[in-house]
Amino acid sequence: MTMTAHNTRQSLSDWLKTITFYEILVGMKATLSHLLNYRPVTLQYPHEKRTLPDNYRGMLALLRYDDGTEKCVGCDLCEAACPSRVIRVVSAEVPGEPTKRYSKEYYMDMTRCLFCGMCVDACPVDALGMTREFEWAVYDKRQLHLNKQQLLAIGDRSYPVREKRLELQHPNVAFFNVAFNHVPPKPADPRG
Amino acid sequence: MTEFGLRLAISLTQIAAVMCIVVFTVLVLTLAERKVLGWMQDRMGPMEVGPYGILQPLADAIKLFFKEDIIPAGANKFLFTMAPILCLIPTFIGFAVIPWGPNWTFEVNGVTVRPFVISDINIGILYILAFASLAAYGIILGGWASNSKYSLLGGLRSAAQIISYELNVGLSIVGVLILSGSLSLVTITDNQAGGFWHWYLFALPAPQIFAFVVYVISVVAETNRVPFDLPEAESELVAGFFTEYSGLRFAYFFLAEYANMVLVSCVASALFLGGWNAPYPGTIAELVGVPYLAWAENTMWFAVKTYSFLFLFFWLRATLPRLRYDQLMRFGWKVLLPIALGNIVVTSIAVFIYQQMK
Repeated sequence: MTMTAHNTRQSLSDWLKTITFYEILVGMKATLSHLLNYRPVTLQYPHEKRTLPDNYRGMLALLRYDDGTEKCVGCDLCEAACPSRVIRVVSAEVPGEPTKRYSKEYYMDMTRCLFCGMCVDACPVDALGMTREFEWAVYDKRQLHLNKQQLLAIGDRSYPVREKRLELQHPNVAFFNVAFNHVPPKPADPRG
Repeated sequence: MTEFGLRLAISLTQIAAVMCIVVFTVLVLTLAERKVLGWMQDRMGPMEVGPYGILQPLADAIKLFFKEDIIPAGANKFLFTMAPILCLIPTFIGFAVIPWGPNWTFEVNGVTVRPFVISDINIGILYILAFASLAAYGIILGGWASNSKYSLLGGLRSAAQIISYELNVGLSIVGVLILSGSLSLVTITDNQAGGFWHWYLFALPAPQIFAFVVYVISVVAETNRVPFDLPEAESELVAGFFTEYSGLRFAYFFLAEYANMVLVSCVASALFLGGWNAPYPGTIAELVGVPYLAWAENTMWFAVKTYSFLFLFFWLRATLPRLRYDQLMRFGWKVLLPIALGNIVVTSIAVFIYQQMK
C-alpha cells in the first residue's frame, strides 16, 4: 500500500514537473546564471597569446655553431627517423676534405610534419631544434616546402645562443661534441 | 497637393520609417543573438569588428552583399529567385497593422494621420496570420527549386511544421479575440490599458496564461527557431531549405527569419502583454506634466516588451537541444492543440458568465 502511495506521489510530482516545464526552467536558470556571472574562457588570440609550455614542439629549424658554421653533417639519420617523410637530405663531401660531409641540400615539407620531434632526437650533432614558432599559416602551401637557407634562418632567429664549437671535435663521428684529448689538434684550416 | 497625394506621401513615409526600424532591429538582433548566446556559453561572441564587435552586422551585410550569387545546376531559376522574396514580403507586410504607440490622430490639411500605426484595419490579426502562412510557400518553393535533397527535406519538414503550428498560433489567439471582441490590434491594445492586471495575460475573467504559453511555443516552432529548428537542422540537413542559397538571396531568407521573429514578438506584446501600455495605469509623463512626451514612454514600453520576448528566443536557443521530428509533431497535435482548444472553451464560458453577471 505504501509502495502504491509512493508511486502515486512520484507520478504526481512527475506530472507537475511536466506541466510546469520544470526541467526546461532548470536549464534556463543555468544558462541565465552563466549570463549573469559572465566569465568568458575565450582567449582573444591574435591580441593575447597563451603562454607556451617549456617543452613546446614548434617549427623545426637547422642550427649553427657559435662561429656560424652549420652543425649538420649530412648523416641522413633525421630522414630515417621521420615517420612522415618530411625531411630530404642530399649530403655531400666538403670540397677538399674527403672525410668531412655536410648536407648540400636539406628540404622539409612542413605540410606533412606532425611535430613528433623524432628527427631532433635522432640527430647525433644536435643540428636540429624545435623552435616555439607556431604561426605558420600561409596562403600557398608550397611556401611550407622549406629549403636549407630558410631552415637555417628560422634557427638563427629562434636560437640566439649557439653551442660552442669545440676545437677538437670531428664533424663526422656521432659522439662528437666532447673533447677528445688524445687526438692531436687539427692543423689550421687551409681555406682560412 | 491633392488629398490622395497627401495620403500617399504620409503612408509612404510611415512605411519607410517602419521598414527602417525593422531592418535596424534585425541588424541589432543578429549581433545580440551571437552576443547573448556567447555570454550564456562563457564565450565572448564577435569581438573583432568595431569596439566589442558592435559593427559586426554591417560587416556581415557587406559580406553577403558582395558574395557570389550561385544558382545551382538543374534549379528552377524562376522559383529559386522568387522564393526569398516570397519569404521576405509577407513578413514585412505584417508590420503594417502593428500599433507602435498610443492611438493618437492628428489632421494635416484635412487628412487624418495615425502616427504610430500604418493602417488600422479591422481584421488586423487575421491579416498577419494570413500573410505569415504565405511565407511557408517561400520556404517550400525555395527548398524544392534548389534541386538538392537537403533543401527539399528541409522544405518539406518546414511545410509540415509551419502548418501544424500555425494552427496552434491561431487557436491560442482566439481567447484574446473573445475577450476583446475585436480583430484590430489597435482596439485590442486599447482594451488592455490601465495597469498590467488588465493585460490579457492576467486579465479577468479569463487569464490567457495557457494561451500565452501555447503561443510562445508555437511561435518558436513557426519561426523555425531552436528547439524546433528541424527545417534547418545543421547536423542533419546542412542548412535545410536555404542550403543552396548564397549572397543576397541568402540574406533575404536570413532577414525574413529575423523579421518574422520581430513580428511575432510584436504580436505577442500587443495581444498578451498590453502592447504599448505601461504596466502601471496611465503614464509617468502625464504625472510629471509633460503629456506630449507620453508617446515616448509608451513606445519605450512596447520596445521593452518586444525585446524581452526576443531575448526569450535567444535564451531558449542557448538552453535547449533540438527535438526529434516525431516529438515535434506529437507535441504540436497532441499537447498544444488540446490546450489551445480547451482555453477557447474555458474563455468562452468565463466571458459568457461574466457578461451575464454584469
